[in-house]
Amino acid sequence: MKRVVAAGAGILGLALSVLFVATPALAQEKLVVSIWGGSWRDLVAATAAKKFKADTGADVEFITGGTIDRLNKAKLARDNPESDVTFTTSHVGWLYANDGLYEKLDLTKVPNAANLVDQAKISPYHVGTWAYVYTIGYRPDLMKDVNFTSWADLWKPELKGKLAAPDFDPSHLIAVAAMLSGGDAASWEKGQAKLKELKPNFKAFYTNDANSQQLIANGETPVQVILSMNAYYMMGEGVPIKLVIPKEGAVLGIDTIGIMKGTKKTDLAYKFINAVLDPGVQAEIANLKKGSPVVSNAKLAPEVAKLPGVFTTPEQWSSQAIIIDHKLRAEKTAEWRKWFAENMMN
Amino acid sequence: MQDKPFLRAFVSPAALCAFGLIAALAAVFQFSLRAYVPGSLEPGGLTLDNFTALAKPLYARVFLDTISISGITAICTLILGYPIACALVRVKNPLLKSAILIIVVTPLFLGEVVRTYSWIVVLGNNGFINSVLLKLGLIERPLQMMFTHFGVITALVHVTLPVMVIMLAAAISHIDPDYERAAESLGAGPIRAFLTITLPLSIPGIIAGVTTAFAWTFSAFATPQLIGGGQVNMVSNLVYQLGFASFNFPFAASLSVSGLALTFAVLALLRAATRPLEAVTAH
Repeated sequence: MKRVVAAGAGILGLALSVLFVATPALAQEKLVVSIWGGSWRDLVAATAAKKFKADTGADVEFITGGTIDRLNKAKLARDNPESDVTFTTSHVGWLYANDGLYEKLDLTKVPNAANLVDQAKISPYHVGTWAYVYTIGYRPDLMKDVNFTSWADLWKPELKGKLAAPDFDPSHLIAVAAMLSGGDAASWEKGQAKLKELKPNFKAFYTNDANSQQLIANGETPVQVILSMNAYYMMGEGVPIKLVIPKEGAVLGIDTIGIMKGTKKTDLAYKFINAVLDPGVQAEIANLKKGSPVVSNAKLAPEVAKLPGVFTTPEQWSSQAIIIDHKLRAEKTAEWRKWFAENMMN
Repeated sequence: MQDKPFLRAFVSPAALCAFGLIAALAAVFQFSLRAYVPGSLEPGGLTLDNFTALAKPLYARVFLDTISISGITAICTLILGYPIACALVRVKNPLLKSAILIIVVTPLFLGEVVRTYSWIVVLGNNGFINSVLLKLGLIERPLQMMFTHFGVITALVHVTLPVMVIMLAAAISHIDPDYERAAESLGAGPIRAFLTITLPLSIPGIIAGVTTAFAWTFSAFATPQLIGGGQVNMVSNLVYQLGFASFNFPFAASLSVSGLALTFAVLALLRAATRPLEAVTAH
């Protein structure tokens, strides 16, 4: 009996030791990526994660959530991060960086970063992964006599009660109003009076992508300050939307990636970033989402490359994009948001 | 009363939950007293600025709007819910009773966002109501129901109705139908019997239902966010707009603390106002 017990204990001990030894090895083969849910998660799963798996044999596990939810979770998990890399917007990436949640990047470990466009080099801690614009999108079938060539056209009286803009980020209109008033995002106060003149034209403020899509699809708000990718998605669904790049340019947005401080998979994280910046992956992302690639050597399908808001040449990046300094945006968002809520939304 | 040790074991999960809630509230309260540092997630030193910043007309208006929307929703829900609760209790046919119950509680099983998006389809300019009214020739142009108080209250009544009906039905089911029969046998008509017997005896249920509906609506978020479209805002929408969408957590915390204090104050007022009614029904 004792022998049986001893043999059993031996097998159990062996099994446990194998488990303990094997666990770190297995864990090495899985990279945890924090990203928005839905189509964003699917996009990265179908492109960069696939390439990463082919290159390294390692799997990608996604944890998903909203921009702010994930930021809060990362803050709470500090030094023991739940994810190894994080996708977020350029200005929120600065909040991660300022709070010491990101590793400083060594881009020599990311060969594809050699082709990054300048506008995607956001900080020493995070780099761009794809770009889009917030610009004027409208329903030509419902707005027959209105023509848009400039941001100033949004102020036309015939747009009274027809406009929608995001309620989560007023920075686009703040920067545009400042520009039209002779200032810029840093001197945004110059545009306050101009912005107040826009108030009668607002019908609603949308709260997320789905809300934006619904409001323009049912014609409730036939003019929107809209995310270009959303507009193209709705066009694909058969909604007649025209996207305009105003003569002053469209407001650039860049989603970014950074490596979480405290990750034990730094090498894999760099390989994943390299997969994201792979020219083939970048072209695939641009073709699927109708956004701009952030590396200069991505080859886009001609019908995608010619779309408004898709930038493929240095000339387009410099002349068609209004870039709000990402760090300034991170610092000013609360002030802008508060002013907008107090003066425009209520 | 005998001491039953197992009761303590039963109470401990609730005590743990209460502890978690108190710890979270304490964290929110301490955040409300800290300064916001632009561009940083870490709050700064102690300050009362977050509360003094609330002394603007905008915030007073949103707090008043929240109270009025919650109050109107509670009253509309009571008016709609009372006949349904009576029917639920008094109907004899079990199939009909089940049908009423299922229809009443269904809104609770739909996700809040799904339910609210459905209301956008119903209330929109090209939505169900406007399409029907236009086709019937009753209106020439679509009625504006989205982004209005009417739209927000309509959607809130829909989700609050099950809570009200269940609470009223519980109260009405405790009223012996023989009281009404006795009143009718003494010459009172059905309306008089209802007004003098059923209604007064159901007042505890009405008070509980209205109070719960009010508190339930006070914290509404998705409905005013999506139906209100930034034009009709309640306290929770301001917390989201100014706190979570712009990382100003200290100010969001001060709004939350003020909203909570206001809820307690209004509920205390409601309690004081309804105490005489409760006293009447106790006799």
